[in-house]
Amino acid sequence: MAVVAAAAGWLLRLRAAGAEGHWRRLPGAGLARGFLHPAATVEDAAQRRQVAHFTFQPDPEPREYALETQSPLPRNFEMGQTQKMNLFQSVTSALDNSLAKDPTAVIFGEDVAFGGVFRCTVGLRDKYGKDRVFNTPLCEQGIVGFGIGIAVTGATAIAEIQFADYIFPAFDQIVNEAAKYRYRSGDLFNCGSLTIRSPWGCVGHGALYHSQSPEAFFAHCPGIKVVIPRSPFQAKGLLLSCIEDKNPCIFFEPKILYRAAAEEVPIEPYNIPLSQAEVIQEGSDVTLVAWGTQVHVIREVASMAKEKLGVSCEVIDLRTIIPWDVDTICKSVIKTGRLLISHEAPLTGGFASEISSTVQEECFLNLEAPISRVCGYDTPFPHIFEPFYIPDKWKCYDALRKMINY
Amino acid sequence: SVREILAELTGRKGGCAKGKGGSMHMYAKNFYGGNGIVGAQVPLGAGIALACKYNGKDEVCLTLYGDGAANQGQIFEAYNMAALWKLPCIFICENNRYGMGTSVERAAASTDYYKRGDFIPGLRVDGMDILCVREATRFAAAYCRSGKGPILMELQTYRYHGHSMSDPGVSYRTREEIQEVRSKSDPIMLLKDRMVNSNLASVEELKEIDVEVRKEIEDAAQFATADPEPPLEELGYHIYSSDPPFEVRGANQWIKFKSVS
Repeated sequence: MAVVAAAAGWLLRLRAAGAEGHWRRLPGAGLARGFLHPAATVEDAAQRRQVAHFTFQPDPEPREYALETQSPLPRNFEMGQTQKMNLFQSVTSALDNSLAKDPTAVIFGEDVAFGGVFRCTVGLRDKYGKDRVFNTPLCEQGIVGFGIGIAVTGATAIAEIQFADYIFPAFDQIVNEAAKYRYRSGDLFNCGSLTIRSPWGCVGHGALYHSQSPEAFFAHCPGIKVVIPRSPFQAKGLLLSCIEDKNPCIFFEPKILYRAAAEEVPIEPYNIPLSQAEVIQEGSDVTLVAWGTQVHVIREVASMAKEKLGVSCEVIDLRTIIPWDVDTICKSVIKTGRLLISHEAPLTGGFASEISSTVQEECFLNLEAPISRVCGYDTPFPHIFEPFYIPDKWKCYDALRKMINY
Repeated sequence: SVREILAELTGRKGGCAKGKGGSMHMYAKNFYGGNGIVGAQVPLGAGIALACKYNGKDEVCLTLYGDGAANQGQIFEAYNMAALWKLPCIFICENNRYGMGTSVERAAASTDYYKRGDFIPGLRVDGMDILCVREATRFAAAYCRSGKGPILMELQTYRYHGHSMSDPGVSYRTREEIQEVRSKSDPIMLLKDRMVNSNLASVEELKEIDVEVRKEIEDAAQFATADPEPPLEELGYHIYSSDPPFEVRGANQWIKFKSVS
């Protein structure tokens, strides 16, 4: 398949980049991490920046999710007619399905009319009209507040915040208004039909304000759901579930995967249940947990561990950050005894700390080693230092090795 | 300087923010920097204006933002504070007619950005005419310095290229429009014509300046690509102001970075 060939190409380029550079030890890391010496030639410099820190791995078929037209859940269902889509196309497809099914659905945000900065809403305005897909002025707080207003009346509001880094002016509206509406009105009112979509995570050249992962800030707020997909197939199913969910949801889309991730996605709508983590690969020695782009990093780490250390890893994609699937993670840790959680957001107060804390409460006697968190540094997301900041596969592998040898 | 700006864009040590800021974060003496979150700098400007007033050194603060940012709530909060306390702040809205992909007619209920200050007097200035901008700023600075409070200026200008690397710049406007503005109201061209027509300078002299400038930019570009990047140790620097240096946790419990400031 073309995707496998592309993946192999990425891996080869990764190895080539390492071989040409000088090796130097990162302070504190056990494993030498290769990076090119600053005085390298211009050619090396250009190559260095183009190498991604992960390889997108699409899921093998078949998948066990319900197509809306089918019930009950079949064991191996027919995916129906599928099309090769990348992440932004699968988002467009999900939005298309929503607008078609739900006459009250509206999409709004900055620059969504011409298709959006990442092309997630291409063609929707022409298809559904400018009263259903429209631009807003540059005011995040206004966008979310306005969205809450639409949702309270019962219409389906799908708001786009142009980058997750810009969601902070809207933080008050999300946390103080949207999350608490049902609670404070005693279920008289709710803004459940609000969904906020936002590009999320590092992208290689985003610097401080185009690369953040703010899921931890929202995890601290009961009343909303936060969902992060790892692939186009997951994105469409999860987004449709978020839109139909009767609670305000924030859907973060890993922007680096918008083009990099492509796979076969059904054209018809389908739902993937929220608050359910997925065990992508079964294993017996270590549990690896991540979400979004990082899932592909830990998948690679799992295969590296198998190859080099003979360690069998269980890889879990958390998918919904809150309310998170405690049972799946704990069951897995009871089986393996070791847990490694990885995310791009800074270490202190990142969501890995919540998972770590809950797991040690529930599975203390089953743990063979301290729970390991491999996350971003406790610094603002850096501009030029990004390749060193992100928890790439070498750092995860190193942490895994230390855990095995504990 | 140009060298520092280009070096900052490529993330080198010689950049204005030592390579740590990138394209949105140029800083210099008395230049308090760009902001990734547009509109965040307007309350900042009001604050600096308060400091100017407090220090009594007859300084004013110029706060620039765009037509897109003009719809942010915090700007109106800043207007209110500046007018209430008569802060010497010149709010300048650079109206280039498009907030990335959205034209001003589709984003703002009132495109008279100079009137948006409501209780703050506003000037509308032709941003493409350099002398016009200079005179308007002179007037505005004098107004602020006389203690009458803040003033708003709208500079009507245009953007030729896209908003950023990912914006082609033509999906929301026509190429003809861009060509038209470029040929009729390009500021450098207008000033050149004016100078040549009033015999203030000859075409050759202006060509010389052109050549000089080109050389300076090329040198700066060379510097920007050749300058070394900041050393890895600086990853953790300047997070907090801390003496003695403390340790920043890294990607896992075994990586620690020193943070010096």
